[in-house]
Amino acid sequence: MLKLSFTPLSTTFPSKIIPPRLLKSITTNTLSQAPQTVRQNDTTTSTNTPQHKLPPKSAYIHLPFCRKRCHYCDFPIIALGSSSAPEEDPRILNYIQTLCREIKATSLNSNPNPSLETVFFGGGTPSLVPPKLVSLVLETLSSKFGVSLEAEMSMEMDPGTFDRGKLKELMELRVNRVSLGVQAFQDGLLKACGRAHGVKEIYEAIDIVKACGVENWSLDLISSLPHQTPEMWEESLKLTIQAHPTHVSVYDLQVEKDTKFGVLYTPGEFPLPSEDLSAEFYRMASRMLTDAGYNHYEISSYCRSGYMCKHNYTYWKNEPFYGFGLGSASYVNGIRFSRPRKLKEFMHYVELLEDGGVNCEDDSTDAKDLAMDVIMLSLRTARGLDLKSFAKAFGCELVLSLCKVYQPYVESGHIVFLDDKLKTITVDEYSSLLSDDRKMSEVPAFLRLSDPDGFLLSNELISHAFGVVGS
Amino acid sequence: MATAADFCRLKFMPLSVNSPFHHQQQHHGFGFNYSNKYKFSYSGRRSFRVNCQTTSGVDSSSKVSHSDLQLAAVVGKDRLSKVPTSNIRNFSIIAHIDHGKSTLADKLLQMTGSVESREMKDQFLDNMDLERERGITIKLQAARMRFMYENEPYCLNLIDTPGHVDFSYEVSRSLAACEGALLVVDASQGVEAQTLANVYLALENNLEVIPVIGLDCSNAIYCSAKEGIGITEILNAIVQRIPPPHDTNGRPLRALIFDSYYDAYRGVIVYFRVVDGTIKKGDRIIFMASGKDYFADDIGVLSPSQMQVEELRAGEVGYLSASIKSVADARVGDTITHYTRRAEQSLPGYKEATPMVFCGLFPIDADQFPELRDALEKLQLNDAALKFEPETSSAMGFGFRCGFLGLLHMEIVQERLEREYNLTLIITAPSVVYRVNTIYGDTVECSNPSLLPEPGKRSSIEEPYVKIELLTPKDYIGPLMELAQDRRGEFKEMKYLTESRASIIYELPLAEMVGDFFDQLKSRSKGYASMEYSFIGYRESELIKLDILINGDCVEPLATIVHKDKAYAVGRALTQKLKELIPRQMFKVPIQACVGSKVIASESLSAIRKDVLAKCYGGDITRKKKLLRKQAEGKRRMKAIGKVDVPQEAFMAVLKLEKEVL
Repeated sequence: MLKLSFTPLSTTFPSKIIPPRLLKSITTNTLSQAPQTVRQNDTTTSTNTPQHKLPPKSAYIHLPFCRKRCHYCDFPIIALGSSSAPEEDPRILNYIQTLCREIKATSLNSNPNPSLETVFFGGGTPSLVPPKLVSLVLETLSSKFGVSLEAEMSMEMDPGTFDRGKLKELMELRVNRVSLGVQAFQDGLLKACGRAHGVKEIYEAIDIVKACGVENWSLDLISSLPHQTPEMWEESLKLTIQAHPTHVSVYDLQVEKDTKFGVLYTPGEFPLPSEDLSAEFYRMASRMLTDAGYNHYEISSYCRSGYMCKHNYTYWKNEPFYGFGLGSASYVNGIRFSRPRKLKEFMHYVELLEDGGVNCEDDSTDAKDLAMDVIMLSLRTARGLDLKSFAKAFGCELVLSLCKVYQPYVESGHIVFLDDKLKTITVDEYSSLLSDDRKMSEVPAFLRLSDPDGFLLSNELISHAFGVVGS
Repeated sequence: MATAADFCRLKFMPLSVNSPFHHQQQHHGFGFNYSNKYKFSYSGRRSFRVNCQTTSGVDSSSKVSHSDLQLAAVVGKDRLSKVPTSNIRNFSIIAHIDHGKSTLADKLLQMTGSVESREMKDQFLDNMDLERERGITIKLQAARMRFMYENEPYCLNLIDTPGHVDFSYEVSRSLAACEGALLVVDASQGVEAQTLANVYLALENNLEVIPVIGLDCSNAIYCSAKEGIGITEILNAIVQRIPPPHDTNGRPLRALIFDSYYDAYRGVIVYFRVVDGTIKKGDRIIFMASGKDYFADDIGVLSPSQMQVEELRAGEVGYLSASIKSVADARVGDTITHYTRRAEQSLPGYKEATPMVFCGLFPIDADQFPELRDALEKLQLNDAALKFEPETSSAMGFGFRCGFLGLLHMEIVQERLEREYNLTLIITAPSVVYRVNTIYGDTVECSNPSLLPEPGKRSSIEEPYVKIELLTPKDYIGPLMELAQDRRGEFKEMKYLTESRASIIYELPLAEMVGDFFDQLKSRSKGYASMEYSFIGYRESELIKLDILINGDCVEPLATIVHKDKAYAVGRALTQKLKELIPRQMFKVPIQACVGSKVIASESLSAIRKDVLAKCYGGDITRKKKLLRKQAEGKRRMKAIGKVDVPQEAFMAVLKLEKEVL
């Protein structure tokens, strides 16, 4: 550690973990208008600081430990195996200590510093970490930033990794939201994707969550798993609805290159469902969950009224957030930075951070980049892109171009424009706006992808907007 | 195109490779190896001198020695000095395969001291990068050499000719500027059709032809340019056998332009051969065909770089510059005479270059249209055969319809536009010029399928026909006849040139050769056959226009004019190919081939059903964003045809597909 403190940064720091601040070449504001404040509708800042440069009020904590790696997973995780008890595993203790050091070493740029409004423990399998150690992390967070009394504090938990006692302990630490990794309700499917639990453990976990009185909990599913049939998917959705979670996440399986699935399977080909079937799964989820009273408020998220995941929503609003732990991403001062995904390099990074060798000061962000971030993130949500604040930040011309580029997709029903009263603008109304630039820049207040057709083709549709911003 | 590459294969075969002496020489690096800068490490044989008196030197083992070169270098220094007209020899080299020809030319330059060894680079006469890369000569060049023969200085002018059929007009002009020609034949490959055509051209021009290398005829010289064998014999033969020009210094000036090019600083530089009279620096001259007159600012000889002289006389070859703005003012084949003392008649043979092949060029990025226009204008300054006019297409926006001498010419222009002017272009399928007889009794020329008059307004369509001669070993006669037959060829004649080699003559539509005819010829004959064609006129054919509709929108750049018997095959292949090349869209896209309103082939592209933006885990959006940017970039490179994004490759591959089907 000592040897590092006086060595020039560039020679000792592995290049792949140099934060963007250090790598960034000169960027310029290439849009016609200089970016002004991006004001989301519910943010009432009186200062001139752009919203994404305000101090974060959210923190993501990565707890990477798993019993074993699932076949679809390419996250930065550490597989513990099934031998040791987590309470005694020195690997977990060491990691938590390093994590706490990282939190402590983080520089604060504002005074006073706002307390955290959301904390999210993601993984890995955070529920494997002994509550004692979770407490350590939370204490560190509290003393560093402060944690609001009303803060949403979520933890991802896997069936079979916690009992009533453990969950009680966590709740005493003010963990108040559980994200339960169910994935499927069929033993065969669970086994085929390498999950460490079966259906029995799922029901036990649901019972524990309910018995402990966790009011706000999410049941997480994966669609388009290998060998999944429409009957199985329907069953999973039905059983999910019967479990009465306040929130449901439905992730469409992504076959990543360096995973077991990536080696074995090709999307759209057996045993994975065809593209048509996979699209049908998405529609089924949308239809069944909506019918059961859930709001489809984001591409892959459904909730009962009032139970949106506040933490995730900070991402979609392009608001800043801290990230701590292996491979985690942060967005502070307008800079996105991903920590090293390998443990050794991460340790190294924390040492350097403590030595003041990591500098993430204010930097000018390319306006185009920022515009793309805002589009890509906000179009994930049912609320969509706020055209008024977007125009303020990036200029009316860009909004006008966006409104026009989507003409065929408004007609095909993939894109929906809403007025300031959140009323849908009809295709005919939209067509008449096309000939009047002034009205076109005044009338539409929001732009969103339709549910489910637009959401289903989100990449294709968002890339059209990227084309407009990039040109 | 394989066409160009096929010209690069010749290696001058040393016929005496078995002689131990030769082996030894090679082993010691005695030969001409530019990169080695003449390492004459082996001196034991220096006493072996070429006998300068040898006329038809079949002495294949004769080699160039060090002292020869030294002498040549001294002589070469005087190459600007005048010699009597009787000591001038003007010649060109006829060879099918340029690579070997250029090597021989280089060697002649070196042997006569015209190029110092330190300036030497491979294929000195091929100036353009593109030429050097492809091993072909596009623009011909000239070089003046001085050679001592029997203690008398001779002035030898080599006029290099392009070897490709597209440039045969330039070949004919350069031959017209000579009294003799070296016929270079590759012993391993035999005579090629183009070579033979040029030999006939040379004989028509009353040129003395000196065969070089293993031809089975008398008085041929064996040589290996690479090894430097036989070069002195060739030089001797040039002096002995090629007649000198006539001494017509007293007549009014007549000079034949055999090449011209545009220099950004000096305007057009004209290469010419003085046939009659003399021309001096500062003379007021007029180009007889174009009628443009100028003052000759600068005259000189090419040796091979430009060297100024005061005067050029009858029989001499040189260049002039006169601040001429465009090569169109001083075209190849035109005659230069004095403004005040004009010649009565121009030299024979000038002809306007007529483009035979047409295609549309459109910038991918509409903003590049002005750049494309500038680039074409600049290229045209250098290449008067290039024709272009603006073309607008609803699908492709603004572009140009361009005319070329042939396919190689077309390809070279495209490549130069993309490479030298940094343009990204969509090239529409090449087409020929059709003559459409309308019901009103007039005839309309049409080279753009999308501008073809409607069926109801035309009474007939005529298309250009060519006579094509194929030279092939007899084993490939069958496959080649099949090829010609497939291309609507009409068999005319077949004769055996030797026991094993035949000449087949067909007449077929030029449109059938616009494509991969040459590639097919080569592949069906394993590379052994060659061809030569000439335009023979227009004939009426049953032609129809084949339209391609994508999602109901007619895509003009994909429209073609085809013979009615081929419409179905082409339509099927086109729609299938397009289905492969166009990415799936958010909706089902029908792809149809139509004749008039009748759909003759149809495919459909299924809609993308699912393309969901994946979870950005823990707020990490960088990877997904990169993916979306890539997706957006992909779209940017496509052309929107109605609602459908069509990638550039679709337009390109359609060209290739035609090769498979047509």
